[in-house]
Amino acid sequence: MALMPDRVKYRKMHRGSRAGLATRGHMVSFGEYGLMALERCWLDTKQIEAARVAIARNMKRHGKMWIRIFPQKSFTKKPLETRMGKGKGPLESWVAVIRPANVLFEVDGVTEAVARESLRLAATKLPIKTKFISRHRTA
Amino acid sequence: MKSVSLNGTPRTLGRRGGSKQLRESGRIPAVIYGKQATPQNLEVGSKEFKDLIHRSVSETLLVDLAVSGDPRPKRLALVQEIQHHPLSGQVLHVDFHEVAEDEKVTINVPVETAGEAVGVKTDGGVLEHILFKVKAYGLPKDLPEVLLVDVSHLKIGMAIHLGEIPLPAGVELIGDKSISVISVAAPRAEEEAAATTEAAGAGEVEMIKEKKEDGAEGGDKAPAKGGAAPAGDKKAAAGDKKAAPAEKKK
Repeated sequence: MALMPDRVKYRKMHRGSRAGLATRGHMVSFGEYGLMALERCWLDTKQIEAARVAIARNMKRHGKMWIRIFPQKSFTKKPLETRMGKGKGPLESWVAVIRPANVLFEVDGVTEAVARESLRLAATKLPIKTKFISRHRTA
Repeated sequence: MKSVSLNGTPRTLGRRGGSKQLRESGRIPAVIYGKQATPQNLEVGSKEFKDLIHRSVSETLLVDLAVSGDPRPKRLALVQEIQHHPLSGQVLHVDFHEVAEDEKVTINVPVETAGEAVGVKTDGGVLEHILFKVKAYGLPKDLPEVLLVDVSHLKIGMAIHLGEIPLPAGVELIGDKSISVISVAAPRAEEEAAATTEAAGAGEVEMIKEKKEDGAEGGDKAPAKGGAAPAGDKKAAAGDKKAAPAEKKK
């Protein structure tokens, strides 16, 4: 299933704030290794999916993977060559609000070398700086 | 668990600014509390404490805390909580729980695996670590720093439950003994993987569908807007109120 909410109360949202550090979802909670965001951004469905595919391909169906983020937020875009006004534009995509220290992906059941390479490949699909972390220590 | 010695001094700097100053000067703000004495704010050396953590297997530590100016030469305490900076991992604050040597306590002990499971090695299964920490109850000296569980005999579909974890004498685990702690799951089938990718492709269709649904929901919004009627009534009521004083003036 594509990454987006099943049902929402209101389709169009305010932009909200991306300030501060992540105080939740900043620890490796399920797996052994994780990928932590060092910058803030909106990660859209396509970027998350591309990173997931990169991890899955490199792990070759070994081990286990967790996606720790979910695109809960919708964003809109006005069509090209449209004059300002006439209301908020149509829905463009769904995004996850990422703050520094958010753990984006976790993996387990593979060696550290494989986990490192998988998460490095995933990081190349993302528009932000990230770092590899493990449950026991920050790398 | 062996106790390790640590030096601390009473802390006078408090609040956010004070704690910040302390951290900049290479100290860590801490607190000690327990049944023995009233809670006391402390500070410990950052380097000394970091070395202590690096040398130990887990963050569950038993320390002999020597507080300067305290009549007791050493205070036995468990490291109850260590607060880390979310991004840098730097230690921000430490909680020490003062315990008596003859008093049983409950702590969270990390569970670690030893060996490679048969199900993983030969059958390609996935070792699933379900519980990373378990609650152990016993005397501070008896409690282990880490619980090592041998998983080498585990085949696919097998699990180690809370009741099956080997424990040192005088220690018991708290919780439902039938809960799985570590298990070996079957490898992911190829069909399942293919299904995931197919569904991912179908995501766009679903989004259009949802848009339509939302459009339909938009119809539902009408009553919600209609729900503004009470607000309108309020305005009307307010209008009446305004009108009323005008009448009074007359």
